Amino acid sequence: MATADTHHAHKDDGAVHAHISSTGFYVAVFMALIALTILTVGQSYVDLGRLNLVVVILIATTKASLVVSFFMHLRYDNKFNALIFVSCIFFIGVFFAYTLNDTERRGELDQDQNVKVLPSTGENAPGGFAPQEAAAAGAGGAHPGGGEHPETPGKQGESLPAPKGH
Amino acid sequence: MSSEATAAGAAEHAHDDHGHGHHGPKWLAHHFDTPAQQFDAAKLGMWVFLAQELLFFSGLFVAYGVYRSWYPEMFFAASHQLDKIMGGTNTIVLLFSSFTAAMAVRSSQLGKQKATGNYLLITILCACGFLVIKYFEYTHKFHAGLLPGRFFHPHVEHLVAGAPALPPNTGSFFGIYFMMTGIHGVHVIIGIGILIWIWLRNNRGEFSKEYFTPVDIAALYWHLVDLVWIYLFPLLYLV
Repeated sequence: MATADTHHAHKDDGAVHAHISSTGFYVAVFMALIALTILTVGQSYVDLGRLNLVVVILIATTKASLVVSFFMHLRYDNKFNALIFVSCIFFIGVFFAYTLNDTERRGELDQDQNVKVLPSTGENAPGGFAPQEAAAAGAGGAHPGGGEHPETPGKQGESLPAPKGH
Repeated sequence: MSSEATAAGAAEHAHDDHGHGHHGPKWLAHHFDTPAQQFDAAKLGMWVFLAQELLFFSGLFVAYGVYRSWYPEMFFAASHQLDKIMGGTNTIVLLFSSFTAAMAVRSSQLGKQKATGNYLLITILCACGFLVIKYFEYTHKFHAGLLPGRFFHPHVEHLVAGAPALPPNTGSFFGIYFMMTGIHGVHVIIGIGILIWIWLRNNRGEFSKEYFTPVDIAALYWHLVDLVWIYLFPLLYLV
């Protein structure tokens, strides 16, 4: 039962030798979790603007790390289990990054012009369906002889007003 | 296997039949060499399952992220209709249940059957308490007409006084709210079932210092439920 031998015993006797944390340690982790909960609720009464979300996620992640490392024993567990967990978090990050990279760059419909515009700059959004007139004008531009449409695509792009209130 | 056995002598046949018994304790499945191997395999399987659970929930979190960045004012207004105090109480209840679940595993590791049972029981009671508080929150939302999508018809007299006005598309916030907390609630209910099962098995004396794997695995599941709530609470209630 000598604690110094447990590491060698692990390899030899085939019995389970899991790490056992003390009650005091679990109480301390629990207290830290409660303190962080009070902190995050208290913070919600103070407006930090754009930092709100960052602070909220930081506190939640600290709490989650405490639960995963100590309550779920990942700190003392087989390193392969930690690898599974970390790669899972990584792929959640990939999921967020690729989805938001799309949804954050989509154009919004400008009701007045009936075209998709980028909310940030007011320029025509790339991709998607070209507005009817612009498509026709584009076709006209490809064949200089057509000349039925008075406006060239470039001119039309410039004449678009920046949308307000987006 | 059977042809081999027939070829072998009667004495050896008998020996083979009891082969499963003598190479280890009753709880050691015959396809594992050692208790440590069985324990590691169970843990590995559980962590893969938990990774799957997190990826499953991440779909909802991504939906939350997209809608929040599209309609930040709407999210801000809608979150004022959620009760921080009830949500905060539920957070503490769930954290405490996670603590008692960890203590149940510790007691089991030390071979303390009675303490394990008691800690499991407290965990189950906390889980039920969580659902009771959730029930009051949901009933209030139903009364106030704070419902998903096209069912969203807020009754001004039931809304939080002095909160920002709710835009017409607030139904999408409550769609996300009910989906996230609802699926989390289903996990709580499943967790209660699992914990009761483990509690019964503990009462039958199935676990010991040498074999506490089911207690450990069930607690891992319960901690995951807690983990998801750790993110749900601030993102929905506090924004």
